[in-house]
Amino acid sequence: MIEKGKIWKFTGVILLIYVILAGLLIPLKSGIESVVPAYGTAGEKLEIEVTGYNTHFKQGEKNLRAWLKWENGNAVSASEINIRDDRKLTLNFLIPGNLPEKKEVQTVTLLIDNEIDGTSVLPSAVFITAATDIITSENVRWVIPGNFSRPDHITFPFRNILGETIRNTYFHVPLWFGMMFLFLFAVINSIKYLKNGDSLYDLKAAAFTHTGIFYGLMGLVTGALWAKNTWGAYWSWDIKQNMTVVALLIYAAYFILRASFEDPEKRGRVSAAYGIFAFTTLIPLLYVIPRLTDSLHPGSGGNPAFGSQDLDNTMRMVFYPAIIGWTLLGCWISSLQFRYLNLQKIRDDQE
Amino acid sequence: MKDLHFILVLFRKEFLLEFRTRSAISGIFLYVISTLFVVYETFVKIQPNVWNTLFWIIFLFVAVNAMVKSFVREKGNSVLYYYSLLNPAYVLLAKIVYNALLLLVLSLLIWGLFIFFGDNPVKDIWLFLFILFLGSVGFSVTFTFLASLIAAGNQNATLLAVLSFPLIIPVILMLVKISAHALRLIQDTAVSGDIAILVAIDLLLCGVALILFPFIWRD
Repeated sequence: MIEKGKIWKFTGVILLIYVILAGLLIPLKSGIESVVPAYGTAGEKLEIEVTGYNTHFKQGEKNLRAWLKWENGNAVSASEINIRDDRKLTLNFLIPGNLPEKKEVQTVTLLIDNEIDGTSVLPSAVFITAATDIITSENVRWVIPGNFSRPDHITFPFRNILGETIRNTYFHVPLWFGMMFLFLFAVINSIKYLKNGDSLYDLKAAAFTHTGIFYGLMGLVTGALWAKNTWGAYWSWDIKQNMTVVALLIYAAYFILRASFEDPEKRGRVSAAYGIFAFTTLIPLLYVIPRLTDSLHPGSGGNPAFGSQDLDNTMRMVFYPAIIGWTLLGCWISSLQFRYLNLQKIRDDQE
Repeated sequence: MKDLHFILVLFRKEFLLEFRTRSAISGIFLYVISTLFVVYETFVKIQPNVWNTLFWIIFLFVAVNAMVKSFVREKGNSVLYYYSLLNPAYVLLAKIVYNALLLLVLSLLIWGLFIFFGDNPVKDIWLFLFILFLGSVGFSVTFTFLASLIAAGNQNATLLAVLSFPLIIPVILMLVKISAHALRLIQDTAVSGDIAILVAIDLLLCGVALILFPFIWRD
């Protein structure tokens, strides 16, 4: 049987295995990758070729429906559907002459629904130009799309910019959470050290800070890779990226400070005091300033960090275990680091 | 009342020490003049947004140079005498207050020299004065506290710059942002919120420094 003191380590490992398996294996929900051509004219026939992502058009042929939907909720159904394979189909629409809006160019949303994939949505799929002379004789019926099917398997949401990189949510974000927890544990140990002067607490604080910086670097690297795929560059001079580097510099200085003291007791006191002070500045740095300025990150410019837009219930099922799993793993790494530092100290004491 | 008296006595001690030698003020004065001379000689004409950044960077370096010395004198047994006689937090508080005033004077000096060598892009003088005050307090708290940490280990001055520059970034970013208001570089109705955040950061750092200091000074 597993020893009592080791249960948390096993919990962490099991959670992380679950996170990696579920996070990487659950497919994305079907989506629409491209629509060609992406423009049409009111009162005319429109034929568009649609490329889907993770779709099963051929398998779900029987009940496949498609709409072009205007902002006010009205829509037109496809008059003809030609399915070529699972990912490609051609749709024919009769665009009404009298459009619901007054704008010169109107954007419409494409909806495709079948029993296997559920509903795939592409906002602003087609631009419709208003007709020069209004044709009223057109016999087109406005419909309200409804009776949508649900996908028959478990999925993660499909977002056009993110694509498969949405899975990075289980690595990039929980690593930051883990870093904050590790720094918090370091502060708790620093406070304990200042209170009773037991050098073990000093070593624990140092170990937690060490792992915290490592997690911060990992968060930065996963974030940079994500940024390359979604924002187009590894480094976009985003306020959160910059503030994170500053935070890591502050903590790097912690080790410079530690290295410059010979006497272990003095080193413990000074580095504990600096660690607490550094953690205090981390709060405005990471949680106040980025919210005041524009940022590419979600949760900036006054928005809450995670809205219903960013996480759905399936993602939550993986995301929350990911936070716990990464934090527990961080604690395990820290405990190994602590044992190493402690052995080093014992050896130094003997000499 | 008695506590306030102690702080005032310590403050007076700091002031007298400085007044007798005038080492900080005169050294910093030369430093500021030569920096500004180089700046105006190379830039010729300074745009307001560059002025804003340059002002705070020069002030930052002036502050580091002025603060390095703040615990240099506090060595040996006489210090132990102070600390055992008084609450050590008072020693730090007196130093923070003294350094904040010193920095305020220095910042006014830098501003005056900027006006003397070039022109004055500051449109809202009262707001700018208030920012100088908040900046002096923030710099004073951070630098004084870190100087006390470094003084505990007979360390050299470069360590202060290494430790303090990343730590001062939240303060200096807020300062640059608010002072852009005073220069009318940006129009934003949320300036009072920014000021509130800066005051909160100053108070937070000051509180943490005062709590931690009694643990550091012991030898």
